[in-house]
Amino acid sequence: MTAAWALVCILCLPLLTADDPPRVLTEQQTADQIDQLFQQHWEAVEVRPAEPASDEEFVRRVYLDLAGRIPSISEVRQFLSDTAPDRRQQLVRQLLDGPAFVRHFTILWRNTLIPEAFDDIRTRQLVPGFEAWLWTHFSGGTPWDQVVREIITAPLATANPQQPLDSASSPAAFFLLRDFKPEELASGTSRAFLGVRLDCAQCHDHPFDRWKQHEFWSLAAFYSGLQQPEMTTESLPGLLRPENLKSHSIVVPATGATVEAKFLTGAAPDWKPTDAPRQVLANWITAPDNPWFARMAANQVWALFMGQGIVHPVNDFSDANPPSHPQVLQLLAEQFTAHNFDLRFLIRTITATRVYQLSSRQSDPSQKEPSDFSRAALRGLTPEQLFDSLAEATGFYQPYRSENPFIIAADTPRGRFLELFRSSAESPLRKETTILQALAMMNGDFINTATAPESSRTLRSIVDFPLMSQDERLESLFLAALSRRPTAAEQERCRTVLKDTSTPAAEAAAFGDIFWVLLNSSEFLLNH
Amino acid sequence: MLKFPRRKLHLLSGLSLLGASSSGWLPQLAASIAGTGRKPPRSCILLWMSGGPSQLDTFDPKEGHKNGGPTKSIETRVPGVRIAESLPKIAGMTDQLAIVRSMATKEGDHSRATYNLRTGYTPAGPLQYPAMGAFLGKELQPKDSDLPAWISINPFQALNPAAWSPGFLGPSWSPLVVASEGPPPAPAPTDSQGTTASASPPDIRFEVRNLRRPETVSSEQAQRRLELLSGFEQDFVASRPDLPGKSHIDSYGRAVRMMNSTGIDAFALDQETAAVRDTYGRTAFGQGCLLARRLVERGVPFVEVSLSSDERGGLGWDTHAENFEGVKSLCGVLDPAWAALLNDLKQRGLLETTLVVWMGEFGRTPQINDNAGRDHWPASWSVVLGGAGIRGGQVYGATEADGVAVADKPLKVTGLMATIVRALALDPETSNPSNIGRPIPLADHGAEAAGELLL
Repeated sequence: MTAAWALVCILCLPLLTADDPPRVLTEQQTADQIDQLFQQHWEAVEVRPAEPASDEEFVRRVYLDLAGRIPSISEVRQFLSDTAPDRRQQLVRQLLDGPAFVRHFTILWRNTLIPEAFDDIRTRQLVPGFEAWLWTHFSGGTPWDQVVREIITAPLATANPQQPLDSASSPAAFFLLRDFKPEELASGTSRAFLGVRLDCAQCHDHPFDRWKQHEFWSLAAFYSGLQQPEMTTESLPGLLRPENLKSHSIVVPATGATVEAKFLTGAAPDWKPTDAPRQVLANWITAPDNPWFARMAANQVWALFMGQGIVHPVNDFSDANPPSHPQVLQLLAEQFTAHNFDLRFLIRTITATRVYQLSSRQSDPSQKEPSDFSRAALRGLTPEQLFDSLAEATGFYQPYRSENPFIIAADTPRGRFLELFRSSAESPLRKETTILQALAMMNGDFINTATAPESSRTLRSIVDFPLMSQDERLESLFLAALSRRPTAAEQERCRTVLKDTSTPAAEAAAFGDIFWVLLNSSEFLLNH
Repeated sequence: MLKFPRRKLHLLSGLSLLGASSSGWLPQLAASIAGTGRKPPRSCILLWMSGGPSQLDTFDPKEGHKNGGPTKSIETRVPGVRIAESLPKIAGMTDQLAIVRSMATKEGDHSRATYNLRTGYTPAGPLQYPAMGAFLGKELQPKDSDLPAWISINPFQALNPAAWSPGFLGPSWSPLVVASEGPPPAPAPTDSQGTTASASPPDIRFEVRNLRRPETVSSEQAQRRLELLSGFEQDFVASRPDLPGKSHIDSYGRAVRMMNSTGIDAFALDQETAAVRDTYGRTAFGQGCLLARRLVERGVPFVEVSLSSDERGGLGWDTHAENFEGVKSLCGVLDPAWAALLNDLKQRGLLETTLVVWMGEFGRTPQINDNAGRDHWPASWSVVLGGAGIRGGQVYGATEADGVAVADKPLKVTGLMATIVRALALDPETSNPSNIGRPIPLADHGAEAAGELLL
């Protein structure tokens, strides 16, 4: 217990010693302070940061990060013609207010909160209900602490095993995925919301960290009321026995010892007769003075926009794995707390920083350590980002199921892409391409249809438009796929392909080849 | 067939991330094989029996006991060893096989057990264990191979997609999934010869999805596209030296190499005579086994063929009802295919370098339920090994007379995996870094291979 206390004191020193609550800063003030800290860091380690991202780089990146897709040709043109000095912040605000942001963030947080849901036929069908629930909260702007409290305290009605828990809007998948097992819920909760990995302490004292087995089981004890009789295996898991709200303790299987519920700080709750254990746990986790909660959320949002966390891996806060920029993380966490755990505040702040707005092009050999954040890293797309970007570039119309847009039929282009491009990589910086993915992009029906002049909506609209010159057509194609105009060298190369075309059909086919190349390029298939 | 100038091809594959696949196996191999006159193992073929086959109605018959049901047993090539009568051809080859009757495992749920048997590890939180196809393929992959290290034929992945994943080894080691195509499969053969009686056998073909360029795209056009793409990639990735870009170039290079490889004629089963194709059975599984042989001939290190349905649809090996009809029908598909595969490998001198593993995720209950079915049973069941590194002609372990418990030499999942790894002349302690940082050995620490099974 003393060990745990020592850790807490180190972690929250700035919070505990401040006489006054931290000053509430605007997002621009926060962003400026972050940039100052990075400037100092770069000078100290002798790194020359990359050039600022051009408007073309920025508009593509920010659409992918906030809308989950690339911008359309007209959205690019509109932004590039905007001369307002604060056009970037304005675009961020506009995107944060849009439905695409809500959908994209729903998918991102679903991946974080129920990451293994797709691995199992039983839990796969719970995903749409979980997404629908998250969607409601993100569209309503629910503060993050409230979202987390509602997950931890989710009502879990007993289910008739014959009648699987329906996938109505509910966070219950968080529990079902972990089979209602207190130990799995404890490790899932501490990873997802605190960034603390207790998994190894489940079976033995953690060799590299200070977590002891009894601390792990003390946390699991908050979920002890959910313990179920051994479940049958074939049906969807349901709660067979109602939750025992009086249960605050759990037996450690390996030792037979009974452990009382305690927080990770080592403190025991002051139980009142009406206290529900999960509510008590949720209140402690989301309290403004919880040493991990705000830092973990800030770290996660940072990682979504920068490719990796200030603590990396994102959910591994431990002495052995210190943050690369502790003051930045501290500042973000403080201001996130001061702004009532508003995720949009964090996003506006991070996207306003110079660090986020650096180019991905390497301009100096010193820009090599990802943890220096001295250059925008290449990031893999989620399968959803990839398909929605393809749909945008190729003019593919996506029908949605009206009752729940999160139900994706498997036998649709979108369903097939999501299945093929789902990756086990935890970090977008580690995204790799498989041969089957490459083959699907090179030879698959979807791309073939999208790049054949007779069937491609984008090509048709560009090639058939009578008033455009060849260069203008080329520019439109580049804007559609890469959200930028071609460079002089690229123009030259493309002209070589286009110059041998004597008939309009041959020219259209050559444009089809160029479009194929653009869609198959890393520049299209990655965020940068 | 696409052709590309060598220079361009080189450009695309130039940034290869693969390099040498894994160090350390050659010296080990040399040490373990030295002096035996044996050739080093090259390949593993997994015959994956999705759903969990009944041990009592295949390799551990209990004729005469009420748990045995109506299944009859027959003598086999090895005196005293009896197996179910629905596997007559395999019965003639038990001298090549080691029958393990003492599998004692823990997981009785399809999803968890599938993961457990295919990775060698129990599913645990965030650790993404690779399936054996990935880690064995990685160890055995020859340098400069045009074909992927792991090819999975007709997998039924829905039970647990993670069990077909390269896990922390990364997508470079993903399986190339191959599905059979052709007219609806014929009814399973039921006559004792194991061949279909129909006059024109169904034409079962295999296709790697999207391996061929669309018919509407000419070869000149395809070449023009790749040349232009190479130039674009060089510009973009050279100034952004990060893994996702390098991996993109690498995988496109490998995909193009495979499209152009002579190795892909492995998929052209019509190069085989009708008689050869008949011996495997004109079923998706039978022709899949023929494809497996053709891939192993071309140096692919890990090929798996799944038998997950009895060709009439239905639940396959998951025989909760009508177990005896179901297993018999599946054995009618399995027996000729497996036997032909072993024979062909042996004839070509490939059986000593190819390990053939027959297993599912668990066995079935010895007690017969009210629907004449058998339910999930991990406590005592059978797997069969043959080929590279395996001492054939033996039965390893035993169950009690009623089949409910292992009586002798219980073998756990970790022990089975260690045995497989060692049969391939690899070291079970060879480790790969995992997604949580901790290095993970091929077979779990402390796993004990069943030495009697090994040469």
